[in-house]
This record gives sequence, C-alpha cells and structure tokens, in this order.
Amino acid sequence: MRRKHIKTLMLTALMTASLITGCGGGDGGSGGDGKKTSSGGDDGKSIKEFTAFFATPGSEINDDNEIQQIIAEKTGVKVKETWLTGQTAEEAIGTIIAGGEYPDFIEGGSGSPQLVDAGALVALDDYIDKYPNIKEFFTEQEWDSLRQEDGHIYWIPQFSNIYGEEKACEHNDEAFWIQTRVLKWADYPEIKTMDQYFDLIEKYYEANPKMEDGTENIPYTILCEDWRYFCLENAPQFLDGYPNDGSVIVDPETLKVIDYNTTPTAVRYFKKLNEEYHKGIVDRESFTQTYDEYIAKLSSGRVLGMIDQWWDFAYTAGDAIKSAGLDKQGCSYVPLPITIEEGITNQWHNSGGVVNASSGLAVTTSCDDVEAALQFVDDLLSQEIHDLRFWGVEGTDYNKNEKGEFSRTDEMRTRCADTAYKASHMCTYSYFPQWGGTSRDNINAMSPSGQASEFYDGLKDDVKECFDAYGAKTYVEMLGTSEAPGAWYPMWSYSNNITTNTDGGMAWTKMGEIKHEYLPKVVMAKDFEKGWDEYMEAYKKCKPEDFLAEMQTELDRRMEEAAKYQ
Amino acid sequence: MENTENKKRRRKKSSNADIAFTVFNSIFMIIFVIVTLYPVLNTLAISFNDGTDALRGGIHLFPRKFTLKNYTTVLEKNNLVTGAIVTVARTVIGTLTALLANAILAFIVSRPRFMFRKQLSLFWVVTMYVNGGLIPTFILFKGLGLTNSFWVYIIPGMLSAFNMLVIRTYMNGLPDSLVESAQLDGAGYTTIFIKIISPLCKPVYATVALFVAVGQWNSWFDAMLYNRMSSEYTTLQYELMKLLSSVTSTQGASAETMKNAVGAVTPVSVRAAATIITMLPIICIYPFLQKYFVTGLTLGGVKE
Amino acid sequence: MSGRRKKTKQVETEMKVKITWKEIKRQKVLLFWSAIIVIYGFIFCYLPLGGWLMAFQNYKPAKGLFHSEFVGMDKFIRLFSDETFIRVIRNTLAMGVINLVVTFVMAILFAILLNEIRQRRTKKVIQTISYLPHFLSWIIVTGILHDALSGSGIVNEILKNLNLTEHSVDFFAHPSYFWPIVAFANVWKETGWNAIIYLSAITAIDPSLYEAAAIDGAGRLAKIKHVTLPGIKSTIIILLLMNVGNVLNAGFEIQYLLGNGLVKSVSETIDIYVLKWGISQGDYAIGTAAGIFKSIVSILLIVIANQVAKRSGEERLY
Repeated sequence: MRRKHIKTLMLTALMTASLITGCGGGDGGSGGDGKKTSSGGDDGKSIKEFTAFFATPGSEINDDNEIQQIIAEKTGVKVKETWLTGQTAEEAIGTIIAGGEYPDFIEGGSGSPQLVDAGALVALDDYIDKYPNIKEFFTEQEWDSLRQEDGHIYWIPQFSNIYGEEKACEHNDEAFWIQTRVLKWADYPEIKTMDQYFDLIEKYYEANPKMEDGTENIPYTILCEDWRYFCLENAPQFLDGYPNDGSVIVDPETLKVIDYNTTPTAVRYFKKLNEEYHKGIVDRESFTQTYDEYIAKLSSGRVLGMIDQWWDFAYTAGDAIKSAGLDKQGCSYVPLPITIEEGITNQWHNSGGVVNASSGLAVTTSCDDVEAALQFVDDLLSQEIHDLRFWGVEGTDYNKNEKGEFSRTDEMRTRCADTAYKASHMCTYSYFPQWGGTSRDNINAMSPSGQASEFYDGLKDDVKECFDAYGAKTYVEMLGTSEAPGAWYPMWSYSNNITTNTDGGMAWTKMGEIKHEYLPKVVMAKDFEKGWDEYMEAYKKCKPEDFLAEMQTELDRRMEEAAKYQ
Repeated sequence: MENTENKKRRRKKSSNADIAFTVFNSIFMIIFVIVTLYPVLNTLAISFNDGTDALRGGIHLFPRKFTLKNYTTVLEKNNLVTGAIVTVARTVIGTLTALLANAILAFIVSRPRFMFRKQLSLFWVVTMYVNGGLIPTFILFKGLGLTNSFWVYIIPGMLSAFNMLVIRTYMNGLPDSLVESAQLDGAGYTTIFIKIISPLCKPVYATVALFVAVGQWNSWFDAMLYNRMSSEYTTLQYELMKLLSSVTSTQGASAETMKNAVGAVTPVSVRAAATIITMLPIICIYPFLQKYFVTGLTLGGVKE
Repeated sequence: MSGRRKKTKQVETEMKVKITWKEIKRQKVLLFWSAIIVIYGFIFCYLPLGGWLMAFQNYKPAKGLFHSEFVGMDKFIRLFSDETFIRVIRNTLAMGVINLVVTFVMAILFAILLNEIRQRRTKKVIQTISYLPHFLSWIIVTGILHDALSGSGIVNEILKNLNLTEHSVDFFAHPSYFWPIVAFANVWKETGWNAIIYLSAITAIDPSLYEAAAIDGAGRLAKIKHVTLPGIKSTIIILLLMNVGNVLNAGFEIQYLLGNGLVKSVSETIDIYVLKWGISQGDYAIGTAAGIFKSIVSILLIVIANQVAKRSGEERLY
C-alpha cells in the first residue's frame, strides 16, 4: 500500500511541477486568443488582436513575449502567430479553405494559388498607396510582378529585400566549403576550379589522415537526404558560372533556358565525384546518411569539405565546432569561388534583392479590419519597430555608442541565439515583411547579421586568419559578388510551385524522382559511362523537354513584363 | 506400477526440459530488456546533454555535457499549462466515455440471442478500413460544430471497432452459465451488463482503458486540425509537437522555405527532453492498471 | 481444456433467432442502444465517405465537393497505368505481410515467455520496460537504428570482431536489407506494446487448467502448448483477422525516415506515393483514389479471412 502512495505522490508532484514551471512563464493560456480583440495594457488602451497562420515550419513565441508587448503598446496591435505542424502546406491550406474560416493574416506558401482561387484573400492594390512604408517596400515594377492573373495583388513577399546599400557579410547560400586547416596547410593557395579543390583535399588527406585526437578525417561528404539532395545535384549550374536559378540555367544573352542536368559540365562534375568516390575521398556513407548524421560528422570537425547551403549547417554544426573548441584546430568552414574552368566568373553570390513572387503575407476576407491590419504591417516596417524586431531592446539586446552605432557583447549574442530567450523576449514577426541592407539611419544594418563590425567580432580566429590571408573581410568577399542577374531571376520562384497538373510539372516531379534515385548510383558506379547512360535513359523518359518548354514560356513572360519598364 | 514409473520418468525428462527452458527464457528476456531499454536510456542521456554538444553524436548511455536546460526550455513553453489541463481532461473524460461506449457495444454484439449481432459487428468492422479523408471529415466536424471545441477530442473517437472487438472476444470467452442463471432470476440486460459481465471484464477493461488513455494522451493532430485557432483547447502534445515538428515536418520542404525558417529548427536534445516528459506520466500510471491484469487471475478461479 | 470456449461458440452459431415481436420486446434495451450506436456510426464513420466523390473529380478546395469538375475514372486510370504505383503496391504489400508476421509472432512469443517468469516483480519490471519504446517517436527510433547500423556502428563492430566481414556493411545502401530492417524496427518498437493484449488474455485463463495439466505431468512447454496457447487462441485469431485487413497500411514515417535514393525502389509505400504525387501537388483526388483502393483491398482481405475462420470454426470478426 505504501508503494501506491509513493506513486500517487510522484504523479501529483509531476503535475504540480509542470504547473509551477508553466506558471513562472506568465499567465499561460489565459488570454482569450480565440477572440479578435481584447483589451490589454495597464493604461487601459485597447490592443487589437489579429491572428496569423504561416504554412511553413516556424517557432511560436510566448503569449507574454516582451518585445511583442512593446510593439503592441506602440502600434496598438498584437498578432498571434501559428505555424505549420505535421502537415504539408497544401494540405493545411486545403483544410482551412474547406472550413471557410481564415485567420486575419495568412502566408500560404505553395498553397497560395489555392487561396486566390477560393477568393479568400483581400486584393491589396487599392490599399498600398495609403501606407508609405508598404508602398516603399517595392518598386512599381516589382509590385506589378506580384499581380495575379486577375490583375490584383494579393500578397507581399517578405524576404530578401534590400534597403539602401547592401550589407551582406555572410554568404547565406550555396558554395563549396573547405576547412581553414586545409587551406592553411597548403599555405592559402588560390583555388579556382573543381579539380584544384579536390586535388587540395586529396593531398591534405594523404598527409593528414587523422585529426589531432586520432579520429579519422572524412575528406568530402555529400548530404543527400530527401529535399536536401540539392547538395549533390545542382552544382553544375554554379560551376558553369550561372546564378542559383534553382531549376534551369538561363542564358543571359539568348534568353533561353538550359537544362543543367545534361551539360558537359554536369558530366564532368559527376565523373569527378565518381573518381573521388573510388579513391575513397567521397564519404562512402554519403548517400545513406541522414541529416542528423551529416551534422554530427560536420560537428566533430572530421569533414574537410562539402557543398551545402550556409544556413543548412552553420547554425548547427558551425556552432558545435565552436563550442567544442575545434575552431582552434582550423575546423571552421570558408567558401571557395570554384568553377569548372579558370576564367569563368562565378555567381555563387549575387547582390541585390530577390522577389519571390510566388507567395507572401496576405490579408484574408475573414479579417474584419483590413485597414488596421495593413497599418500594422506598415508600422512593422518603420525603422523604430524594425529595430525592435531584429535588434531587440536597446541596452538589453544591443548597445548604441555616441555615433549611433549598434553593437552586441558576446553575452548578448549568445543570449539572442537561445531558444527559450527567443520565445520569451525576441519577437521578429519573422514572416511579416522585413528589410535587409542598411538602416534608415545610414549607419547600421537592418539586422545584426549585416553589421560588419558585429560580424567581424563574432568571427572565429581561424576564419579571421584565413580571411586575412586572402585579403577578404567577409564570406562574401571570399567569393566575390556579382551583379544581380536579369529580370527573370529567380526561376525557382516559378518551378517551386508548379504541380503535376501540367505536363511540365509532371516532368519536373518525375525528373526529381529519377535524379534522386540515379545520381547516387552514377557516383558509385564501377563504370561511370555505363552508369551515366542508364541515368540518361531514365532521365529522358521523364520528358524534360516539357518542363523546359514551360520554363521558357515563363521566362518569356517575365522578360515581356520587364520590357514594359525600360 | 508401470504407469507411475512412466509418469516419473516423464516428469524427470520434462524437468530437464524445464531447466533448459528457464535458461533460454532468461537469456531471451535479458537480451530483450537490453535492446528495448537502450533507446529509452539513450533518449534520456541526450535529454540531459547540452544541445550544441549533442549535435556531435556519439552519446550513448550517459550525457557528455550535463545540463537541465533542455527541460527548462520545454517546460517554459507557452501554453503548456493549458495544454496539460486539456490533455488530462480529455484523457480522463475520453477514456471513461470510450470505455463505456465500447463495452456497451461489445456487450450487445456478444449477446448470442441478439438479432442483428452479425450485421452490427460488420457495420463496425468496416469502419476500420474505410476513411473519408481529411477534408470531408473536417467539413463534417465543422458542420456539427465540433471545431473550436473541446468535444472534438471526445465524441468522434468514442467508439472504435478495435476496442470493441477486443472486449467482445473477452466477453465471448466468459461462461454462459452465469448469464443464463441470472436471466432465470429475471435479470434484464442492463443488470447483466452492470452486475455480472462488467466485474468479470476488469482485465480487458483495463487493457482497453490503457489503449484509449494512451491514444488520448498522445494525440495532437486533432488539436492542430480542429482547434488551430483556439489556443484554449490546445493539448500538451500539440504544444510539444510545435516544438518538435519544426524539424520533422520538412517533408516536401524546399531550400527556399527552409532558408527563411532558420532558427525554427529544434535541437535534438530538446526533442529528447520533450519525449521523456511525455513518457513520464504514462510510466507512472501503468502500474496501477497492471494491478487489474493480476486480479483477472484470481477471478478466473471462480469462473467455472 | 478449451471446452468452455468451444461450447460458447456452438451456442453462438446455433442461435438463429427469428425476428418476432416478442423477441423485439425482449431485446428492446439492446435494440435501443444499437440504434443509437448505428446513428453515431453512420454520422462519424460513414457520412465522411461522401468524400470519396473527390476521387472522381478534379477537386479544388475553393470549389468544394459539389462544384468541382468531374473526371470519372481518370485518376484511377492514371494510378494503375503508373509503373511506380504498381511498384509501390508491391512494396507496401511485402512490408505489410513481413511486418504482420514478424511483429505478430514476436508479441505472442514475448507474452508467453514473460508469463513464464515466476518472480512477479521481475515480470512487472520487464513488462514496463518492454513497452517503453512504443512512446518514442519514429524519428528517435530510426535515428538510433541508423547509428547502430552505420559504418562505425555497433553492428558493424560486432561483425568485424567476429570476422564475418572485412569491410563495414553499408546496410542502407542495399535494397535487399531494407525490408528486414523495417521489420526489425517494428518489432523493436512495438513488441512489448502489442504483447499487452495477450498478457491480459492470459490472465483470463483458469488457473485450475494449469493445475490439471501439472497433475497429468505436463512440463512447462507442454503447459504452454496445451493451456496457454489455446487459452489465448481467440484473441490471436481476432487480432490476426483485424491485421490482415491492415497489410496495406505498412506505414509511412518509418520508410520515409529510413529510406534514401539508393533503396527507393523498395522503400516507397502507397502513403509516401500519395504524399508525393497527391498531397504535395495539391491533387486531393490521387490520395482519395489510393485510399479507396486500399479500403477495397482491405475489405476483400478480411472477408476472405473471416470466411476461412468461419470454416475452421474459429472466432470471427462478424
């Protein structure tokens, strides 16, 4: 009987514990979130509450989030954000439409066209002119590019929009990365081509098969899990010196689309991988590893080089390398400006903003006060609120010197990266429109990641040393910047949203499936030529020409639209 | 004489076999326990390990860099209290109603005299294999006023063919003599159900209660789907899923969406902590239910 | 030994009650509750089946079920003329059957063996441990499995130490290993949980039967064979019948998490196909059509299985 008591006690204790800790966080879920308006604030000022749903994964912030509260007091509006959980965007949007009840704000992701069809969105064209900050967000041409078939504008793309001078320090995109120790060992050579890159890795690996602590180095690994297989498949477009159009190459001279999967460069690239695989340079587990395993390998500092997008590894493996002190051994990654041959200008990094016209923040017909909703979006773009969103509270999250320059201490930087702190304090309203580039004060960057001094202070020593050796100050300078590509850019904003409803979309989906299955086989094949031929045979069956034709049509359309403004 | 001799020999032989069996059984159980306990201990170790450090992998039974931070991160999550209250409520109410409903249904279809016994069973068996799909179900629930409501957790899932069949099988195995004699005494179906059958069904009721309770405790999809916008009906699991699925729901994601979702990725260690927190109450409750499995044994003695 | 059960069954099958007013009056309580239950079942389980219409439409959420364009059997034709779909059915069936057999046998074996443990506390502890993995999500279980089977994982270490292999076996690169790995993962995660139901059925066995067997000189194996197994036979049959109808629900997450490009040809199930070619494309009809196909096959399977059970005089589903 006594044992029973203990069990009961444990249970009660558990419940109470969760109650207490939960309560510590504030008044939990007592706020009536279902209601649209609730009066809040001590001064009795009424705060209007809106709801928002974003059909994309995201992290929810707490109801009593401090900065959200400050913004609410300043703007009179608070938005309760909900994110996609355990569903695909299309499915979530599909059910919401079936229910016919919408949140006030919505970002439909790839489900956006469905929302337009359902008449769920408010046309914004007539409103835009009334809100200066919103109006300023895009040029007339950009606004027009957002018009749907019926001629109306329904959403505002939130990202990659540059105010003033561009201030990118990080290369938040794809590149061939290499550990600084490899470069240092070879006395910081100029690496310009794919062959040189693999040569260097091979030589280093021959001389240093193991790390300081005896763990074996992995010369080169490829992440190939699910949609992340871009690490394997899309390098040929960059190697030929084209920007990341995502699905096709666009020849800027002739304005014709080119399939990067079948170019001579693609053959050379995969042949190289095949050779390196058989030499033992390419990790044998490349094609079977999961993302977690890949990150674990990178975090242990064993991997000398790989191709990946910065955001895909830097915030996980990059931090782990630092916290384990492996940067002292030179395990941090820097990008290299690699092309297939010397003399090709690389476009790994492009300057200028990118308008992804395919989706964005929209206001729904369920919103009972469109003007207030848009006023809020307008307010969020004002410099004061924008600083609150991305820098935080002055004195707490960043310091300001007499010149008006923002900076953060190490402690502030670590805290701002903490999950719990982000939920309780920071409120970026991350899927509302936002600026990159330079602040309206002409001194600071719109967000900390663009602040040069801030960036340099946060840099690891081995990276600083490497940058110095190449005369670079930032990741971007390691690669060099190219001008923004033409008016068509980026083609992925179209290909991301095509579905099997069209022949082109059907071909695109099939191509993806075939590449996913055959590319690993090609790299592992004993006889490359044979493996490649088999791949090509299967690839041709997907009718890539249908897809290319559809992309060409879209390209022509975009160029035609753009021509109106010249 | 010969007979007893034979029997003795047989007994001896069988006792040798018994020993072999015991040895085999012990080895089997030891391996089984190690293999099944490992993932749990591994999760526990990771849940107490520093998040960034855990990314490096290679943590097996003990944390490398001990911290409680993962637990505080999870427990500080917004709405956790509301979620916990709703979850406890739905588990208690849901289990009781489901148990009652399934028991009644099982009782009806286990009555040999009942005229639609076969048809009613078939009616439910079919429901196990047909499904109208997400959207039609959503439209229906909305029409019935079950969206943005607590009752969506209780009413739609009240009856399940699986649970009904489990109880029915058990009831079918009970001796008819008990029911027959009660009927002779003039007892109606209600009395038989409450007074005679149900007390004998404790073990199976406990089993079904466990299934339903675990299902209720763990479910989050209904909270996400039907109460997305009313956070007063959120459940514990949904809140935890929000924390977890930002990584797992990347099925069909694209590089472009993930680029903007940076920071939405939850560390493995937090995932582990959330899992452990979910498991705890169930581990605590199970021994209570186990009691009924044992009671069944003694009841069995008076059955016939 | 199982005479009691046999008798019940006979009573059941023999009882063909004629529907008369007297009988209706007699069963009015049962009929009243059945009526409520049927109404409930109709609303919650059968009404949504109206959604099956979607399979014959180019369903657009914006237009709804009643205004979407009808395309007849188009979606079914598309499905069955797609080689991939046929391959996916094969994979689903294969994994479904393998999983069914393996998890089923393991759960029964485990329940019986656990029941043979004499020390009650040990028994309780083992049981509690055994079902714990059920509460781990697939992402955690597959993560650990991936770790164990990787080049430097424990399995390869053991194989190398036993000199069974020279180089690490890359388990996830060969299609032939995939199905066994999935089966193992299922056994690992669910054996203890699936055994609960058998353990509860074992408790219902009359202890006097064991005593009687012991007097007859039965050893432990003989007792298992002649008392325990017959005692839980009806539970086994019912669960088997139910699960036979579920072979096409071989899963989604586990294959999704363990699969990769190299084993794609054997790893994709119907559910993964539906996600890729239906839901992710905003094509609801494909998913519904595949769902209807699954339902039809399931119902066919259980009707057959039920007939077999009926012929052999076993417990039936209906």
